[in-house]
Amino acid sequence: MTRYILGRLISVIPTLIGVTFVIFMFQRLIPGDPAVAMLGEHATQENVERIREQFGLNRPVFLDREALAQGDFKGFFDTQYLRYMGRLAVLDLGNSIHRRIPVAETLALRFPATVELAILAMLIATTIGVPVGIISAARRGSFIDGATMIGSLVGVSMPIFWLGLMLIMLFGVTLKWLPVGGRLSTGIEVTEITHLLLIDSLITGNMPAFKDAFQHIIMPAIALATIPMAIIARMTRSSMLDVLQEDYIRTAHAKGLSERIVLYRHALKNAFLPVITIIGLQLGALLAGAVLTETIFAWPGIGKWVYDAILGRDYPIVQGGTLIIALIFVFFSIIVDLSYALLDPRIHYE
Amino acid sequence: MAEATPDQIKVVDFAVREHRSLWGDAWRRLISNRTAQLGGVIVLFMVLSTVLAHFFWEYDPKSDLDYSLKLKAPTLVPNEDVPSVHIMGTDKLGRDIFRRVVHGGWNSIRVGFVAVSISLLIGGLLGLLAGFFESVPISSLERYLFKVLVGVVLGLIPAWIANQYSMVVLFAGVGLLSAYADLHWEEKSWRAWLIILLGTLSGGLPALITSPYTALFTAFLGFLIGIMLSRRLGGKLLSDATMRGMDIILAFPSYLLAIAIVAFLGPGLEKGMIAIGIVGIPVFARLVRSAVMSVIQKEYVLAANAVGEGHGRIMFRHILPNILSPIIVQSTMALAGAILSAAALGFLGLGAIPPEPEWGSMLGDSYRYLTSGAWWAVIFPGVAIMLIVLGFNLLGDGLRDALDPKLKI
Repeated sequence: MTRYILGRLISVIPTLIGVTFVIFMFQRLIPGDPAVAMLGEHATQENVERIREQFGLNRPVFLDREALAQGDFKGFFDTQYLRYMGRLAVLDLGNSIHRRIPVAETLALRFPATVELAILAMLIATTIGVPVGIISAARRGSFIDGATMIGSLVGVSMPIFWLGLMLIMLFGVTLKWLPVGGRLSTGIEVTEITHLLLIDSLITGNMPAFKDAFQHIIMPAIALATIPMAIIARMTRSSMLDVLQEDYIRTAHAKGLSERIVLYRHALKNAFLPVITIIGLQLGALLAGAVLTETIFAWPGIGKWVYDAILGRDYPIVQGGTLIIALIFVFFSIIVDLSYALLDPRIHYE
Repeated sequence: MAEATPDQIKVVDFAVREHRSLWGDAWRRLISNRTAQLGGVIVLFMVLSTVLAHFFWEYDPKSDLDYSLKLKAPTLVPNEDVPSVHIMGTDKLGRDIFRRVVHGGWNSIRVGFVAVSISLLIGGLLGLLAGFFESVPISSLERYLFKVLVGVVLGLIPAWIANQYSMVVLFAGVGLLSAYADLHWEEKSWRAWLIILLGTLSGGLPALITSPYTALFTAFLGFLIGIMLSRRLGGKLLSDATMRGMDIILAFPSYLLAIAIVAFLGPGLEKGMIAIGIVGIPVFARLVRSAVMSVIQKEYVLAANAVGEGHGRIMFRHILPNILSPIIVQSTMALAGAILSAAALGFLGLGAIPPEPEWGSMLGDSYRYLTSGAWWAVIFPGVAIMLIVLGFNLLGDGLRDALDPKLKI
């Protein structure tokens, strides 16, 4: 098992190197000079050169052919990509070109916002999706089942940015119950410990801040939860339906066990594996940041951050942000695989 | 007693029924499936209306502008404020939203179709090859092709460093020779050394024109490529390399990848199609590969192989028709996904170039006016997106039930 985990973790490295390589390839291909993007069209040549020098943008992207031709092997490898990889080896993500502050610093502020939103969305999706799936499987063909199936299809078909807009219109503009964007109202302060505002305000016993943070997060969380919820409900239902046909379920019924015990102890346990997969993969996807939801609700997460950086040609952010997102995503698929072995004693990893 | 002539014998049809093909059966199940019926009707209605509008209802987005009608609520009868009828109201430039929704469908749906075609063709082909050669040994002709391909792809690296692209031809030659060596000089121990030597020379000699230092480095690369080519590379490498590439694309967050591709290609509908298409490639590659691997050990594939049918024929005549069901279902679902992604790109301003109508960009244009109460400019394009996506999802669900009666999802 340990060997399997190690093997999987090591196999992540080539994938991530591939990801960085692709990012740099894009960086070379995408038109537009980050130095010009930062200084504006009318910047003097010297200033542009200075910025390019400072961020190493004057170096070739992958390998310096001219340096090699002159016998300068050190210069040959002294390129943007290899410099970046060298810094990455000591966990340095570099500085933002536009704001001149370390990428890691902004990431530490931005990432908790995404984590908080993703986890709350996933909690909503799971606490509603799983029971709904179980009920509709247990009452197959009933009205509830039909409503669940149609509802879940509508859920996956919903453009979430549109749903977000509808929520804003209803609760933010018409009813004025909830704020329309951001993480906190101005004037409300939270002592930040974990940077997860809901948890921080609870720890410090700051109830007004908790209420305010909750009012801010609930709409984006619901919008973000819609699609995972629909997928989880469908998955739970179909997985339960498969299991409910098994012989041991009939045996359990024949023994006279109550419906509840059969459903929860015999069926659900065995039906949960594919559901766990979906939950894990969806959580990984949500943690990767939700560009659209974050844009609509002005949520300061990493999706919007990297998106803005792509458009603004702030390459260090694009590189660092994408790498972290890819890392999370790959990491979650490994966790999902490992959770199989924990949940199902029949599965062993060599 | 007279003998009965053959034409007097009547077959009692207790076991014989009218011939029904597999696909005929599937079709029958499909059209009797409620979900598929509903999905089909929605899709047909939406596609037909936008296609008809595109060809028979003229609309010039460039000249469509009337500030006097800016952001008017939907009206069913003309009044003094709004002299014309706008059943879905007007947008910030006074354009009729109904008209733009109907015409916008042409763009939105087209993006979906083209994008899915791209992912299906490229991803499907990669998956088919990867799945097939994962378990079937490559033939001698394929060995030549494959080794030349490996030689060319790897040869590009030293060729680029030395800026001598003739090197690629040399490495292709080394690849060719190594394939020949694999097939004909199997017992000869020096064949590996020969290939490695030739690889080193191909890397080193042409680079001498550039500089001796470059030659030193590229000769080393050539040496490595030689080692690679001297081995009996098989289908496993092809499959592994393909799937690794797919893993890398999958590791990227899909929206960000699409945005990066659009940033690279520039905005516009066609670029959006390509971006969404590329993002969808790994999904199809994985699906098709696993589908191929599930049928590759079936008797009919083994039999086709045993009677010596060509690999291409086996792939396209025997395997492909038998794995079509999951591909069709996935394509329908992917259409829904692609239309959603296209709308998302449009919403972010990376889709159709204004004033071209497109559902996502219509939403992106109008959502700022939501706070001033112009709900109609946001509701209708969104409903259109949701309807068509729902239609394709329903159809996909119905198709899955119809094509694979064993599956009950």
